[in-house]
Amino acid sequence: MATDSRHSPGSASSPLRKGRIPAGFVVLATLGVALVALPLLGLVLRTPWSRVLEILTSETARTALRLSLIVATTAAAISFVLGFPLAWVLVRSTFPGKTLVRAVVILPLVMPPVVAGVGLLAAFGRRSGLIGSWLYDWFGIQLTFTTAAAVLAATFVSFPLAVLALEAGLRGLDERLEDAAATLGASRWYVLRRVTLPLMGPQIAAALVLSWARALGEFGATITFAGNLQGRTQTLPLAVFEQLQTDTDAAFAVSMLLILLAFAVILALRGRFLR
Amino acid sequence: MKRVLILATSAVLLLAACSDSNDGEGTTGTTEASGGSGGAEAELTVSAASSLTEAFGEIGDAFEAANPGTTVTFNFGPSDGLAGQINEGAPADVFASASPTWMDSVQDDGPGVTGRADFAQNRLAIIVPADNPAGIEDLDDLTEDGVQLVLAAEGVPAGDYAREIFKNAGISRAALANVVSNEEDVKAVITKVMSGEADAGIGYVTDVTPDVADQVTLIPIPDEVNVIATYPIAVVNGSQEADLAQSFVDYVLGDGQQTLAGFGFLPPP
Repeated sequence: MATDSRHSPGSASSPLRKGRIPAGFVVLATLGVALVALPLLGLVLRTPWSRVLEILTSETARTALRLSLIVATTAAAISFVLGFPLAWVLVRSTFPGKTLVRAVVILPLVMPPVVAGVGLLAAFGRRSGLIGSWLYDWFGIQLTFTTAAAVLAATFVSFPLAVLALEAGLRGLDERLEDAAATLGASRWYVLRRVTLPLMGPQIAAALVLSWARALGEFGATITFAGNLQGRTQTLPLAVFEQLQTDTDAAFAVSMLLILLAFAVILALRGRFLR
Repeated sequence: MKRVLILATSAVLLLAACSDSNDGEGTTGTTEASGGSGGAEAELTVSAASSLTEAFGEIGDAFEAANPGTTVTFNFGPSDGLAGQINEGAPADVFASASPTWMDSVQDDGPGVTGRADFAQNRLAIIVPADNPAGIEDLDDLTEDGVQLVLAAEGVPAGDYAREIFKNAGISRAALANVVSNEEDVKAVITKVMSGEADAGIGYVTDVTPDVADQVTLIPIPDEVNVIATYPIAVVNGSQEADLAQSFVDYVLGDGQQTLAGFGFLPPP
């Protein structure tokens, strides 16, 4: 194994890797760091630290936090339950239109969230939604303005992240281990439960954490499709947005809470992000 | 070096484009003067209540035509949000609010204002989808079980006025229990009603513009419980174009009155 690492590209001492850093790069790289760091610094400096505890224990903040946790966790769970079979199919089978399916599934990742909201209305709205109008006319079920709508919006935007992480996990899997288990008489379900899923532990965790984090931050699709009501659809980002109009201090304090949660996500995925 | 410069310039341009198109607070629209051969180039930024979107759009065009070389850029949004932006130092030469409260805020807690004057009044109304799915006919109908009612958030003038009307009518508790969403501004309320997802919303009489008249229906609110919104306008202190800003204010108070009346606004008190 020691000889392996010596030949790996990471330690090769090519002039491009180890040579003098171009001055222009230093300037642009510093600008890049500043671009990200300055707003964070601004948030830290503007946060009314003496009031933080009072604000974060207020009813608005607590209600929004509770709802955010419920919505993000449900969205991450749905993303995994639907995302794992989809990743499995995408990695381990070939069928016509596979690339198209993949493109469609990943699209929400790069789609403006407000467009996602409009799309969700077109699918699940009670008036003109493809499914929504049918649900409403036949069963009197209206999704818009409900917590279910907030979950749907959060799932829509976080699903691609789960699928991508699970796909990567399945691709990196040594299929011989699954074959060996099958040869020894294990059923497919047993192989999945006792070999495939345990081997993919880290990637499954990554899929859950990434989709949870994306769901937690969802704003545009939620406010467009689910609306904004305390305790029902007002998640933390929506609370920040509303408070920004009336109580700026509160907006900064809640923003800080969201930053800390995001920071915890990075820490949890440090193996993935901080190598 | 040249390449680095190009890279840096395009990065800056990209950033500028992003901040233009996504300021997080309402919509921004620019209209360019077509003439521009005469006077000096000047740009005026007007932060205006979102209920003024259509009327001020037209007034802006007319003002540009009357002042060649001038470009008026509008920042439409909820008055409370706009006042917050201005108080935080966002550039604005003119502020037009849908309620005196938020003009007071800029005057007292922000950079201050000059030449403040009331320029219009507006009435609130119930707004329902054209097919009126919940069969709303008056304020009392808003209290019926299961009505999906959408208001502007508290703090937004249209939201505060709506809550005041419910109080005047003595239906606060039952009506507020039917609220399914508190929207960012009054235009967002109209959007939710237009899409047919909400059964009713409270907006301004002027929100039912010809563009949306076939999709929403306006139900008047009786005068004895209705609220009359008063709209103040002023030059924001610190404006780089104070003179031009004042002429815009004068224009709104003068020639602009006819345009405002055309869009259903009432004359100032």
